[in-house]
Amino acid sequence: MTAFVNPYKKIKDLHPKEAISPGTGLCAGCGGLEGLRLAMKELGENVLICNAAGCFTLLSVYPFTPLKSSWLYTTMGAPVPAAQGVRDALDIRMAHKGLSNDENLLVMAVAGDGSSNDIGLGATSAALHRKLDFIYFCYDNEAYGNTGFQLSAASPLGSATQTAPTTKVHPAGAESFKQDLFEIWKAQEPTYIATVSPREPVDLSNKFAKAKTLQGPRMFICMSPCPTGWGYDPKESNLIAKLAVDTGIFPIKEYFEGKVVHTKPPKKRLPVEQFLERQKRFRHLFEPERRDDIIALIQQHVDEYWRRYE
Amino acid sequence: MFRIRMHGRGGQGIKTASQILGSAAFNSGFQAQDFPLYSAERRGAPIVAFTRISEDAILERGPIVVPDLLLIGDETLLESPQAAPLCGSDESTVIFINSEKKPEELQKHYSLSKLPLQWNLTELCIQYLNHGMLLSTALAATGARLIGTISLQALLKAVESELGAQGIPKKALEKNHELAQTIFLDLPSTTFPARQPADLQANSLIVMEQKGIRDASPLIFATGNMALRKTGDWRIQRPEIDYSHCNKCLICYARCPDGAIRVNADDHPEIDYDHCKGCMICAQECPGHFINTVREAGAES
Ligand SMILES: Cc1ncc(C[n+]2csc(CCOP(=O)(O)OP(=O)(O)O)c2C)c(N)n1
Ligand code: SF4
Ligand code: SF4
Ligand code: SF4
Repeated sequence: MTAFVNPYKKIKDLHPKEAISPGTGLCAGCGGLEGLRLAMKELGENVLICNAAGCFTLLSVYPFTPLKSSWLYTTMGAPVPAAQGVRDALDIRMAHKGLSNDENLLVMAVAGDGSSNDIGLGATSAALHRKLDFIYFCYDNEAYGNTGFQLSAASPLGSATQTAPTTKVHPAGAESFKQDLFEIWKAQEPTYIATVSPREPVDLSNKFAKAKTLQGPRMFICMSPCPTGWGYDPKESNLIAKLAVDTGIFPIKEYFEGKVVHTKPPKKRLPVEQFLERQKRFRHLFEPERRDDIIALIQQHVDEYWRRYE
Repeated sequence: MFRIRMHGRGGQGIKTASQILGSAAFNSGFQAQDFPLYSAERRGAPIVAFTRISEDAILERGPIVVPDLLLIGDETLLESPQAAPLCGSDESTVIFINSEKKPEELQKHYSLSKLPLQWNLTELCIQYLNHGMLLSTALAATGARLIGTISLQALLKAVESELGAQGIPKKALEKNHELAQTIFLDLPSTTFPARQPADLQANSLIVMEQKGIRDASPLIFATGNMALRKTGDWRIQRPEIDYSHCNKCLICYARCPDGAIRVNADDHPEIDYDHCKGCMICAQECPGHFINTVREAGAES
């Protein structure tokens, strides 16, 4: 067992330097941007980001970039193949072409949940199989945000999206449970997997600090509250992120050396409806009539998850 | 034909306002066309929406360059070179601004060539909808009233059909109806100066020439240069730190998605107003509530 001592205890300890400048076109109050900002504070400037098409396309709009590091824009399905190419090129140039080791870069894929769970998953699986040395950052806003909030495999049961709205025949909206990307990745035993939330900046920073010391695939899922798609006032982004954790809907955990550890387990889990009722995408569960059946199904799913650990 | 152009920011209901106005005109027996225009940017960024209203078929397409009526929902846009809401307006254009300032003050403050119409829609929206910047109904009602040929009944029906299509709860719909009615009945009417019909002119074709690869491929020479773009003008509300109480816990600093809060030399948080988008997360999250929320146009700069 490798000992790793968390460098951060409180918010004041966080890395003071920003690696993303302000001025981007992303929505005011974007939870995903908050997650990436905190992550980049930790990872620093010597990073090459392979960014899948999605909301974060707006990070860099020619001729402007908010990043102190490099950025390579890829198709929705190909951030990981791009990362593989960049990693290989750097390795080959360092080994054979005289590129100094000081010029080595940390290669990082950044992708939304749509890219991560759907079109990009096959390529990611192949890279996990090859033990590609990279960091993967999935900002999970639980739908295809950039194109107007359509259903992805990460959209939770009971949420309304543009392609799965609530209708008479399909009152729940999305009828499948959110795909468990953590478990899918885990089956291939990458070096490290963590879920993080902008609500827990210290936990997030410690996990990126740890990932930086490791090699091989290091995978992150960042809960990314999305005022635009989820339908709430931007100022509530952190409240929503907090409720996701406190209700147990979004477990904050890590997988390392064969074990899963919950780093921020909810002390006493709140009822899921406290998370649901604040968002327009779940409004049909409360109005015009309360859908106790669907709410109970969501609660039951969360309870079943935690029964395995509590 | 009557051409209305509306300006606001993503999230303020400007697109819906143009739809309500279009439907209201249609309900009053006119032909109507409405559509929004926005870039890839998001909630908070400037958006424009258009409504054309006519007794005859509307063959004109595309953005309205010379509007008869300009409805400016968010006065902070008047200082945004990107939004340039006055662009294309001429001596016949009637300009309406949602503001708490009086028309004379607005004219002076923004160096307008003539006196604008003004009404404090935000105050009414707070009163009826508990939210000062949900402008869809208010702006549409303003348009309907000023145009003068749209009936109240047609307006209310349009509010119901357009907001109903978005699935808003019944209670909220009733409040929107009350709001529309109040504005429609209280707002003074106006007259529109006659406009000389302009000859339709076709622009000459622009021939796109092929450039060499060096000219055509993008290169960015400076990192972090996104900061040159000032997103501060997205703000509707402004967070103001009460330094007499702030205890430097830096929670606000950690929680700002845009990194628009710096830590200054004596470890206090300092808001970068050039870039703060006004999401108000910092104000919500400050444990002691030491960050005040101020309506932007009225904030002291
Ligand atoms: C193969 C392909 N299909 C569709 C698109 C259009 N498209 C661009 S971004 C996007 C949404 C991506 O969703 P997600 O990965 O969840 O990221 P988000 O937009 O939520 O940030 C879509 C569908 C595309 N770029 N490529
Ligand atoms: S749509 Fe959601 S995820 Fe995308 S930029 Fe806006 S807040 Fe962020
Ligand atoms: S309102 Fe506060 S949290 Fe939001 S962008 Fe401005 S400084 Fe940052
Ligand atoms: S959260 Fe409040 S108390 Fe803490 S640093 Fe910010 S303004 Fe000061």
